[in-house]
Amino acid sequence: MTDVMNAQQAGRPFLELRNIHKRFGGVHALRGIDLSLDRGEAYHLLGENGCGKSTVIKIMSGAHAPSEGEIVLDGKTHASLSPIQSLQAGIETVYQDLSLIPNLTVAENVALNEQLVSAGGRLARLFDRKRLRQTAEKALATVGLPGDRAFLNTVVSDLPLAARQLVAIARAIATRARLVIMDEPTTSLTRREVDNLIRVVERLRSENVAVLFVTHKLDECYRIGGQAVVFRDGQCVAKGPIDTYSKKELAELMTGRSIDSERYRTAKPGDEELFRLDRLAAPNVEPISLSLKKGEILGVTGLADSGRNELAMAITGVQPATSGTMTLAGRPLSVRRPGEAIEAGIGYVPEDRLAEGLFLDKSILENEIALVVTKLSNAFGIIDKRKGRALAAKLSEDMRLNTRDIDLPVGALSGGNQQRVLIGRWLSIAPKLLVLHGPTVGVDVGSKDTIYRAIQQLAEAGMGLIIVSDDLPELLQNADRVLVMNSGRVVASLDAESASEEDLYKAMLASHSETVQ
Amino acid sequence: MTASRLDAALQQENQTRPRSFSLGGLIRRRPETITFILLVAICVAVALINPAFLQPSTLIDIGRASVVMGLFALGVFIILAAGGIDVSFTAIAAFTMYSMTVVVQSHLPGLPIAVVLLMSMAGGALLGIINGLLVHHLNVPSLIVTIGTQYLFRGILLSFIGTVWIMSLPPQMGAFGRLPLVQFEAATGATITLPFYFLVLPIAAVLTWFILNRTLMGRAIFAVGGNANIASRLGYSLKTIHIFLFGYAGALAGLAGIIHVCANRQANPFDLVGTEVNVIAAVVLGGAKITGGTGTVLGTILGVLLVVVINSVLVMVGIPSTWQRLVVGIFILLAAAFFVTKQKNR
Repeated sequence: MTDVMNAQQAGRPFLELRNIHKRFGGVHALRGIDLSLDRGEAYHLLGENGCGKSTVIKIMSGAHAPSEGEIVLDGKTHASLSPIQSLQAGIETVYQDLSLIPNLTVAENVALNEQLVSAGGRLARLFDRKRLRQTAEKALATVGLPGDRAFLNTVVSDLPLAARQLVAIARAIATRARLVIMDEPTTSLTRREVDNLIRVVERLRSENVAVLFVTHKLDECYRIGGQAVVFRDGQCVAKGPIDTYSKKELAELMTGRSIDSERYRTAKPGDEELFRLDRLAAPNVEPISLSLKKGEILGVTGLADSGRNELAMAITGVQPATSGTMTLAGRPLSVRRPGEAIEAGIGYVPEDRLAEGLFLDKSILENEIALVVTKLSNAFGIIDKRKGRALAAKLSEDMRLNTRDIDLPVGALSGGNQQRVLIGRWLSIAPKLLVLHGPTVGVDVGSKDTIYRAIQQLAEAGMGLIIVSDDLPELLQNADRVLVMNSGRVVASLDAESASEEDLYKAMLASHSETVQ
Repeated sequence: MTASRLDAALQQENQTRPRSFSLGGLIRRRPETITFILLVAICVAVALINPAFLQPSTLIDIGRASVVMGLFALGVFIILAAGGIDVSFTAIAAFTMYSMTVVVQSHLPGLPIAVVLLMSMAGGALLGIINGLLVHHLNVPSLIVTIGTQYLFRGILLSFIGTVWIMSLPPQMGAFGRLPLVQFEAATGATITLPFYFLVLPIAAVLTWFILNRTLMGRAIFAVGGNANIASRLGYSLKTIHIFLFGYAGALAGLAGIIHVCANRQANPFDLVGTEVNVIAAVVLGGAKITGGTGTVLGTILGVLLVVVINSVLVMVGIPSTWQRLVVGIFILLAAAFFVTKQKNR
């Protein structure tokens, strides 16, 4: 069926970009992109952060006008598209920031745009509440969210992140989309939610809808199948069926250099105990005891509700433990606030670096010295600028930032570089223990490589590290041991060198009563 | 359901749902409940201390005094809902009311009152649209733009149109101000009149409610108040929305101005300007967040009533009128603190 339709329309792709250039001031973000998207096909747009992926998406969705080149949409040539033109043509985008309106309800976020688009963007129209509800119910059911009235009327800012991501996807499929663009749609989804999303994608394809993914998760690309499109420095460097490329080949195409996917962990941990937990309990975490040696890297994983996040927050004082004790370098600790953890020498790089970690409109300098300003300032609270600059410059170099300009606002950096700034900040207080939560979420292959190397250097210098992550290869490549949490308890402790991803999955997904060895 | 994390989150939500039947939940969903409770509490307290408060004449005074502030507040509210703020509405009202009075008096003495009202609204809308265009094209926060235009409109009024206090209005305007809607005799023998122009406020409130809740424009206004960048990405035309918002608020201000003139039977070009903060206070007391995206028409009207009641009844219980500001200030702080705690608790 799909094949027949594809054959009929084979001569005319749904959307074609011809020699698209985009300049932002002096930055040449896209340098002559040619890309054609066929109906019913899945595309994976791959590339490092800053390679032009987001720009291309914004040109398709009408948020940016190209500086040069033409867009052929359904056979008609345009110099640029407006958002409403693009939506009317059936191009729906799930943005990385989700682009949900926080104060509107779920139903309005999912289905209001359908009415706006069918009104051609004109606002002097009555708003049909019945149609809104029906459209929303249908779309929510497709992505596996409830469609009851209470959920429909929930204000989006009250929803957890995963549900918001699904609501954003529901909006994209609420209309008769013909091309659905998803910019990192799975970053906050669990495995089961991802499985469901993949089913949604298959259904869209069978309905002859083209799907364009932008993601760093190559495993998911292989599962979905379709075409790979690799960007590097604003140019398209490879196009073809994704299963004809190996992971290593894709990584090399994206970065232009060869990337090791071998184990990063080289050194061995020391013998001296650095940190121990004795029956530490927290909300959602059953009493846990563990011990960490100097220079040891401990991985912690589990499903989102397994208690792994709460464990990290208890250790770092973000959400204090309810009972049990912590000992760091032989001294018992009581950590009730993040400030106490910092004083004791425990650093924490949170998962959501944008919301919890970085001041985006402040400079690299200000971000990196944020924890040591009191140390850098004199009795009158005036900061020694020269010392601060020297420190920030050194940290930037240690973390291999791709810019020398430490006055640049952090918001202007790519995700990988932002993460490096955040880790660099913690190095400024020389912590004894560093807790990293999802250190490479939304970070490209090249930046992952530098972040991993930095992590290994820290361990070699004797720091203890705890990495809480969903990314199983990351844990296996970097850690000495991996703890798997399930229902608030540690159900498995595996040696990272010999364990496989399957071992970890098995422990993560085991039903609550079993204990996996 | 697809995921355990989601299940957990939604369960959590289910657990909180029964709580929403409690007063706390009600206040979180409908912050104007607080405004209502404050209003009732004050009325009860005042009525106990001085039963004269419950006389129809007092209530009608309150109704009459709410009209101009209510119209202003509706305009301020819809701009606040879209994440903006307007402080030029009093200048727009002063400009249109005075210019209109001058025009009718010296050039078009026979103009029917309906046309006078419509022209004032059109004039106000025009000045409002200037605000909207400036906000949109300069891409400057509306607070700054409207501070600028407040001075501008007022400056033009006083420099070029006139500074003379007009004591004798054109007859049709005076008559409109006296036209009764309801009239009866009080126990004391005095005639009590609820003027016809009082009707304008409920009509404007219903219209504003309709626009906000039953049209795409209304939803777009809240969407822009939630996040303007995202709204524009989703295809909402910010320019159309800005022009409509400020045009509508301008029209309401123009109408409020001319009603102010008719009700007071005089046109003073120095009037009104300076009362902006009072109106914004009423809207905020009605539960609209100053950061935009929230609030209701009902809340706005309750906020206006609360401020009007405070302003007019404190005297009745022997509190000097100089205390009005103090009381309004305390209420704003209390209400704001209450809203914030409610939000943290969830």
